[in-house]
Amino acid sequence: MIVSAIESLGGWTWWILGLVLLGVEILAPGFFFLWFGVAALIIGVSAVTISWPWQLQILGFAVLSVVAALAGRRFFGYRDAPSSDPHLNLRTARLHGRTFTLTEPIAEGSGRIRIDDSVWRVSGPDTPAGTRIRIVGADGALLLVEPEVPLSHD
Amino acid sequence: MLGGFDIVVIALVVLIALVLFASVKTVPQGHNYTIERFGRYTKTLSPGLNIIVPFIDRVGAKMNMMETVLDVPSQEVITRDNATVTVNGITFFQVMDAPRAAYEVNFLENAIVNLTMTNIRSVMGSMDLDELLSNRDEINDKLLKVVDAAAGPWGVKITRIEIKDIDPPRNLIDSMNRQMMAEREKRASILTAQGMRESAILKAEGEKQSQILEAEGRREAAFRDAEAREREAEAEAKATAYVSEAISKGGVQAINYFVAQEYIGALKAFATSPNQKTLLMPVEASAVIGALGGITEIAREAFADKDERPVRAGSGSGGSVPFTGQRPEPSGDIS
Repeated sequence: MIVSAIESLGGWTWWILGLVLLGVEILAPGFFFLWFGVAALIIGVSAVTISWPWQLQILGFAVLSVVAALAGRRFFGYRDAPSSDPHLNLRTARLHGRTFTLTEPIAEGSGRIRIDDSVWRVSGPDTPAGTRIRIVGADGALLLVEPEVPLSHD
Repeated sequence: MLGGFDIVVIALVVLIALVLFASVKTVPQGHNYTIERFGRYTKTLSPGLNIIVPFIDRVGAKMNMMETVLDVPSQEVITRDNATVTVNGITFFQVMDAPRAAYEVNFLENAIVNLTMTNIRSVMGSMDLDELLSNRDEINDKLLKVVDAAAGPWGVKITRIEIKDIDPPRNLIDSMNRQMMAEREKRASILTAQGMRESAILKAEGEKQSQILEAEGRREAAFRDAEAREREAEAEAKATAYVSEAISKGGVQAINYFVAQEYIGALKAFATSPNQKTLLMPVEASAVIGALGGITEIAREAFADKDERPVRAGSGSGGSVPFTGQRPEPSGDIS
């Protein structure tokens, strides 16, 4: 089908395909059709200017799709995409660095604190209740804490 | 029409499309995808555009990282004092660690619901019905601690557990209502009795006060009466003194004057009395008239004294006479 279309319409086939794929991407977002659409448009530009054999055009389209996807990840990947709230859905990351008063003593490495009207389990060195503690990390739902002022062992 | 190379090219394009489809993974916000390499967990994809290695990497579980509410279905709980109550609740949880929630537990939500249900039974079963109904916060707190600790290894944070409804059986509700009503009635009758007591006290106090005031009034009145009597006696004494003085100066005729005056007054009263048919003439009417004669004596003496010797009174010597010695006729104005 593409083959006969390329034979009859020439390079413009790629333009049509690219635009349709971009439209599909908008209607069904998923960053999937976008790369094919981009590749089709690039091939379309080249096919209108230079006359390639259609087999090479199709191969070029396939390769360009992968390149576009990789480039897209590089430029729009989650590591680089700026988020105005990077800790969204990451509760423990939000608590990191905050200090609280220990309500139950930490004994044998585990205790509890109240945060935002919920109880969190904490883990850290044995500490009496009432000590100010700082949250330094998390292991799943378990918060890792240490005393704000290091305990003196004498 | 198509050569073998052409078919290979087309198949290649289709394959590349499939590879792209398998390797480009866009994770929406609020979700985490776990990646399995040859079926073994390797890493977690965070929200955003991700590319995984095709053929060897596969998306394992798509975990929802948002806080989720779970309904804890109704169940019957037997309290420590053997009351059967129907209890339901809700649990809020959030996945903190996607791979643990995906692989450490099978049917995560089912596990949390069952964990909550059994703990509701054990926490509530150790309490009396009255405690159960009044200590929801405590129950929620205990449940949260236990269930959260139990769900910890699953990478799940239980943020809240709330008991929604506690429904004792119908007949228990009825007797509770009766108890409540009896208590209120008790309070009402106590209040009524107190009111009556207070009102009786107040009334008695008022009566006491009024009697005291009355007695005081009487006392005051008696004092005044006594004073008046004293004053009267004084006046009487004075009058008697005057009379006796007059008598000592004017002789027996003076007494006659007074007696006659009274007497005439009494006769006048008879005369004006509505019962005029009978007239009781005093037996000694003539004596009265005699007394009137005495008055003339006095008058004569008095006037004589005035004319002749003003200093001396009561002397029998004569003088000019306004009264000629005629005796007035009593019958004229009496009959």
